[in-house]
Amino acid sequence: MSRRDLIILVVLIAFAIAFPYMGVPRYLLTSALVMFCFATVVTQWNLVFGVAGIFSLGQLAIFAIGAYTTAVMGRYLDMNVWYTFPIAGLAGVGLSLLVGLATLRMKGVYVALLTIAIAQMMFVLIQTDTACSELNRIINPQTCISFTGGSQGLGDFGSFGWREVLGGRDAVRGDYYTMLGLLVVGVLVSFFIINSRIGLGFKALRDNPELAASRGISQFKYQLIVFGVSAFLTAVAGSFYAAKFKAVGPGILGFDLLLLLIAMLVVGGLGRAWGPLLGALVITIFREGVDNIMTEGLQWRDVIFGGIVAAVMIFMPEGLTGTLDRLWNYILIKLGFAKARSSTVTAVAQDKKAND
Amino acid sequence: MNFFLQIIVSGLTLGAMYSLSAVGLSLVWGSFNMLNMAHGAIMTLGAYFVIIWFDSMGMTLWLAAPFALICAAIAGVILYFISAHWMLTKRAFDTNIMIATIGISIALQTGLLKAFGGEPYAQPLSLRSYSFMVNDVPVSYQRLVIWATALILMVGVGIFLSRTNFGRAVRATAQNRDAAQLMGVRVRRVYVAVLALASVLAAVSGIMLSSMKELMPLMGGEPLLKAFIVIILAGLGNVTGALYAAILVGLLEAAVQVLVGAQYGFPAILIFVILVLIWKPAGLFGRRTVARQ
Amino acid sequence: MSSETKKPLLACRNLFKHFGALAAVNNIDIDVYPGDVLGIGGPNGAGKTTFIDVISGINPASSGTVSLDGHDITNYGPDRICHRGMARTYQLNAGFDSLSVRDNVLVGAAFGSGDQGIPKFRYSKEMMARVDYALELVGMQDRGHLIAREVPVLDRKLLMLASAIATEPKLLLIDEPVGGLTPHEIDHVMEILRGLMKEGITIILIEHVMRFLLQLSTRVLIMHHGESIYEGAPDQLLADQQVVEVYLGEGTAKRLRHLMDQGAK
Repeated sequence: MSRRDLIILVVLIAFAIAFPYMGVPRYLLTSALVMFCFATVVTQWNLVFGVAGIFSLGQLAIFAIGAYTTAVMGRYLDMNVWYTFPIAGLAGVGLSLLVGLATLRMKGVYVALLTIAIAQMMFVLIQTDTACSELNRIINPQTCISFTGGSQGLGDFGSFGWREVLGGRDAVRGDYYTMLGLLVVGVLVSFFIINSRIGLGFKALRDNPELAASRGISQFKYQLIVFGVSAFLTAVAGSFYAAKFKAVGPGILGFDLLLLLIAMLVVGGLGRAWGPLLGALVITIFREGVDNIMTEGLQWRDVIFGGIVAAVMIFMPEGLTGTLDRLWNYILIKLGFAKARSSTVTAVAQDKKAND
Repeated sequence: MNFFLQIIVSGLTLGAMYSLSAVGLSLVWGSFNMLNMAHGAIMTLGAYFVIIWFDSMGMTLWLAAPFALICAAIAGVILYFISAHWMLTKRAFDTNIMIATIGISIALQTGLLKAFGGEPYAQPLSLRSYSFMVNDVPVSYQRLVIWATALILMVGVGIFLSRTNFGRAVRATAQNRDAAQLMGVRVRRVYVAVLALASVLAAVSGIMLSSMKELMPLMGGEPLLKAFIVIILAGLGNVTGALYAAILVGLLEAAVQVLVGAQYGFPAILIFVILVLIWKPAGLFGRRTVARQ
Repeated sequence: MSSETKKPLLACRNLFKHFGALAAVNNIDIDVYPGDVLGIGGPNGAGKTTFIDVISGINPASSGTVSLDGHDITNYGPDRICHRGMARTYQLNAGFDSLSVRDNVLVGAAFGSGDQGIPKFRYSKEMMARVDYALELVGMQDRGHLIAREVPVLDRKLLMLASAIATEPKLLLIDEPVGGLTPHEIDHVMEILRGLMKEGITIILIEHVMRFLLQLSTRVLIMHHGESIYEGAPDQLLADQQVVEVYLGEGTAKRLRHLMDQGAK
């Protein structure tokens, strides 16, 4: 991690810590903490898709496994949700390793198709789960709720418990800081991996799998590592999401959320450490903005949203961080703080000098 | 025996509908590696165009249907010029365009939702209420229409691809873009035409689908997934295989629906395709490609 | 070269690679001794690259065995073969396009030398030293910060070589290192390869530029339709009627003879 990145990160964290005391309305705190949660997912997804170049769309399935693990354990085993987080994380790792194994021999869009199919299958299985579960009879004999709650979803499995500790008025701040903590861990993990030796292996596999293998990188090993590592926090994020909203439903496997996360990922910039954070921030601000400006915004919002994702992919596939990166390097070179990163730039610079 | 007949009747109908959308999808992937996630939205759009021309513009059905198909073709052309056209020469085309078309698809679907509302429409182009009996199994005339249309269109597409110059250009481009280009094929024209053709097939499939169920803005999602399942089974880009796989999927789904329960049809084919993908990533009918530079 | 007493570094026994009915590698049987430079020539489609693909584990052999330093590697994947001390370059200018030149070489240094066991997060000083060494050997030490995608053709070829060297290979397979280069650039690459030979690295070299092949090789293998049609010293090659017929042609052979005579003087 470079000094520049470290400074920016410290400033951002300080701002995020101070944010709840800046007199912002409560709903903004909720939006922010939801953003933290999704941003965590996106930082980890970026490791798989952006850094290792594996086009997996299965992150939602891992997120959902985390959420449902917490819901099921909290509800049926009466576990405190805090104890369910590591279990949820491991469940996510397990599922992710299976997906990683299944996609080992596949390339590009095949991975995307398989992972969509897996997520869709979870969605359909939960939705068609309508048989009354005995476990729920024990909780309330009057009702018929299936094990996963079916399309209704599950509730009554506990929460972070900040209400009891901080009181009803400040509970949202507790939730806020919990999610912030998760995101900070997610960002640190992602920065660390991207700049580490393992990260170099991922990037090599992304850029040229055959050459990477010839240089001693085992695709098997590294693909499983990236699937495993990225899944833990993704599943924990799902689990935090469930604990925050005290309910889960199959909706978290839907295309709406997938689009939102993809938007954060690609608008921010694939494969870059700052991409997911910037993307999550910009998309969230944009959403809040649209919701405030348009009273009937909900449907148009998705039209604009889809349009933005398409436009970014078509005209700016490197995302905002990619564009900013170029700008930053250009400025550094102009100011003489860095050497040009490509010979073409050098040539242009030399031409300029010659002209001067 | 009736079970069996029921499975055949409903499976062939499903297969006919899937084949149309899957063949289009497969053709587009085969021509230039574009996995068109907006295919489902175009299906829906095509079905709504019938409503637009019939209900709002007061055309007769016989006029509204062809007009709807022309509009679908135009939508395909527009799709090409707003997305693929700009991305063809850039890196990671196949993944980037997949994401871009996911965006376009959501925009289009929510646009339809905004314009027509969430309530279902009845597809005016339907003979669902008229039927005859075979061995106590009711067969609606609508099914006959669907079978006939699918058959005619598939034969038509087959002749188009194998007998016409343009069809040869499409196949040449699919096999080797660079070589085709060197031989004077204007590949970008081929791409536009293939997307237009695929969109027409999608629209026909959408109209059929809405004629059997009902017309809703978000109805394209599941058929799109099924079309994907079909082309995965066939092996991406294998157009003839897509036809067989469509019928196979239709029959399988119908069999599970009749024998196990209606809600298990979709999960069953999902499991099936996941297993096939893991076991044979190149598809059931796909030949193993030999890696050799 | 009295290498017969030494144990072979690479031993291929009855190696076949079939693509359907086509035998792209047809019963190749060869030993490469430490310090050798084996030059492989032959017409296009003779199976030279396929042969390299087979021994480097990219494309597994249909039958036969390959052993490196007495160790059977026939069924190893490319990563394990690399760990055992064999590195290769590609005919096309393969590289990790989005990474810097330095990181490209670092990949070789960090992953290519010996089995890693559990993947580590950090680089050792020794790896960094190897990167510097490899970059210096190909003369690219001043261009480490450039992005690989953007460097010119010659540098891309040298970069591929450097990342292979960084894996500390005992045996280096080089596939057409000078294809498409100017005569001046070819001489440059030849100097670099001579440097490698001095370091004691054993080399297998595929090349169409015969002047290059003949001047560097200690032994030559000519392939045709997947088979070996000549194996022996480079100076005997031009006297071989079959090689001149199917591959070189009379004119080229004459020119090369002239060149070799000059070189001898």
